[in-house]
Amino acid sequence: MTKLENFINSFNKTFIVEGRYKLFASGISNTVFIAFFATLMGIAIGIFIALVKTNAKDNRKLFILDKICSLYVTVIRGTPVVVQLLIMYYVIFVNIDNSILVAILTFGINSGAYVSEIARAGIDSVDKGQIEAGMSLGLDRKKTMIYIIFPQALKNILPALGNEFIALLKETSVAGYVPIIDLTKAGDIVRSRTWEPFFPLYSVALFYLVMVVGLTAVQKRLERRLSESDRN
Amino acid sequence: MKKVLSLLLIMTMIFALTTGCSSKTDEQPAENTTNQDTAAQAEKEEDNTLVMYTNAEFPPFEYFEGEKIVGVDVDIANEIAKDMGKELVVEHIDFSSIIPAVLNDKADFGAAGMTITAERQEQVDFSISYVESIQHIISKKDAEILDMEGLKGKKIGVQLGTTGDLAISDAVNLPEGDLYNSGAEVKTYKNALEASQDLLAGRIDAVVIDKLPAEEIVNGNEGLKTVVFGDISEAYGICVKKGNEELLNSINSTLQRLLDEGKIAEFIENHSK
Amino acid sequence: MIEIKNIKKSFGKNEVLKNINTEIKKGDKVVIIGPSGSGKSTLLRCMNLLETPTSGSIIFQGDNITDKKSDINRIRQRMGMVFQHFNLFPHLTVMENITLAPVKLNLQTKEEAEENALKLLERIGLGDKKDEYPSMLSGGQKQRIAIVRSLAMKPEIMLFDEPTSALDPEMIGEVLKLMKDLAEDGMTMVVVTHEMGFAKSVANRILFMDEGQILEENNPQDFFSNPVHERSKEFLSKILYNI
Repeated sequence: MTKLENFINSFNKTFIVEGRYKLFASGISNTVFIAFFATLMGIAIGIFIALVKTNAKDNRKLFILDKICSLYVTVIRGTPVVVQLLIMYYVIFVNIDNSILVAILTFGINSGAYVSEIARAGIDSVDKGQIEAGMSLGLDRKKTMIYIIFPQALKNILPALGNEFIALLKETSVAGYVPIIDLTKAGDIVRSRTWEPFFPLYSVALFYLVMVVGLTAVQKRLERRLSESDRN
Repeated sequence: MKKVLSLLLIMTMIFALTTGCSSKTDEQPAENTTNQDTAAQAEKEEDNTLVMYTNAEFPPFEYFEGEKIVGVDVDIANEIAKDMGKELVVEHIDFSSIIPAVLNDKADFGAAGMTITAERQEQVDFSISYVESIQHIISKKDAEILDMEGLKGKKIGVQLGTTGDLAISDAVNLPEGDLYNSGAEVKTYKNALEASQDLLAGRIDAVVIDKLPAEEIVNGNEGLKTVVFGDISEAYGICVKKGNEELLNSINSTLQRLLDEGKIAEFIENHSK
Repeated sequence: MIEIKNIKKSFGKNEVLKNINTEIKKGDKVVIIGPSGSGKSTLLRCMNLLETPTSGSIIFQGDNITDKKSDINRIRQRMGMVFQHFNLFPHLTVMENITLAPVKLNLQTKEEAEENALKLLERIGLGDKKDEYPSMLSGGQKQRIAIVRSLAMKPEIMLFDEPTSALDPEMIGEVLKLMKDLAEDGMTMVVVTHEMGFAKSVANRILFMDEGQILEENNPQDFFSNPVHERSKEFLSKILYNI
């Protein structure tokens, strides 16, 4: 009986008092919002870099761009995302008032470095014979890339991109280092009010878990559909 | 869909179960925990140490000087340790994690410029208050934000979990709050320095924080000013685990001595540059 | 049609083609045979510059295609190529495989290309497969569609790189039959193959290659009944023994 009372009391303090569930709700929506747009941005950057890198081999004009991309990937992969976030927020984008936007830019730029490696692997995994077939039909390199290599590479990397979104969903938990109320920060705020770590932290963990499990299920279903359309 | 539902159900059950277990440990510590506790205590007694948890992002009460945590609270704690004949160990942690650390015996006490509130008193026991704190509003010199009225519709920075945070969040979020529906927005920062940086950058209009850190910040940044914020005054106390009378008495007697000798004002003076 | 002059090709230190000279005339059906590693596929791939020769020149219809200034993409539009592993585009339907190049290169409208593709597909009896994806087809069907895909570009010459080597034995016939039909229509063809029967009945010239050189060049009757070069004799004896 007291256990149940304790549970209800904690639940009440964590979610009901002062409408704290609203804090969690906006935390979840910010987390998803940031992760989603950061993933889109990461995909755009990543694919751009992958294209530069795969084409730099036969195109000397891309040499400098290629080096810049390598530097970018090295710096981003070599530094923690929290530090990147603090630098972005307090130094580079100090003129952007919207902290959510800064977070999207930060995590998008961060994710781009990782996606570029995924995308490169995806492009490399397309059979060389496909390029030859395209070229032998008289398509130039660009058209071969766009119409033949790229759609196939995309299919290869789609699952990895889903993983990237899921990873970002968790990685954005450091967004609270700047004044953003993401899911983790929402839990922190509640924790700082209730002085009880257990319930808010477990709730935050549970929310992340439910989102990740749900997204993984969606991803599995999409993958299955993809492989049905193309069974090799 | 069914799968998802059943999964959710299972997770809720696990959740409830673990909650149940932990509540149990709260009430009557299970055997293991007791053993650990006594072991930990025995160890503590053996090392003869006194462990203080703080959040060293709150000058002048606690802050890092190089790798060392110093500040008013540390000076006080040193006196307490001296009076008890023990060696002081100071640990830095999130402000929100100080009370939990005290609750599970990781810390003997928490001293972090912590305001004595009813909600906190449900969890821990507080010493006598050793500093009366007054909240301040920091703003740019040309701004006219002097009181609650002036904060209406403004973006207000606070440090997570501090008195200023609690007061402003309540005022903004609660229907009976003074800033409710005024368009005012609370931004919570990990520390006051970052809040003041955003104030300088123009992302927020004001920072509400305790008097002493407010003065520190304004001293360090031309272009900022600070004013007393109405009558939200708070008292700081040191927190210990509920029922730890012996330690609480030691702390109180040391605090009383320091207050009588005027030492605490001296400490504050020393740490305010 | 194609003049091959002093072609050399090395991969690193490995010299794969050693000074190749030959000419393919309009209407020729040239079959290149030889042991594996003899450089026959490399020679074929040099003809449409999928491999760039280390030195020498290739003149196609009067244009020096080894010249850096020549627009190789335009030239490749006039040369069909069929690969050992078909290289159909797995993400596109049969119809899209065939119409992609003519449409994207603005040679035909989508309607024209589809009409043309359907005609070609019906000619090989695969009209009903037009909306299938390559993964649903048998190897023989895939290779015949790959041939049709090249034909859709209305090429002046067709290059075949071991077109039946990756096929199950029972599917080889249908592909060879299609190639034979093409030959009878007067298509200029260069074929790298191990199908001696096809070489005998379709080719008007056999090139025998070994170790990066053309060792013997002859008409099929004389080549198969009276090989001149020692290596040719040895090669044929091994192959014919197997039959």
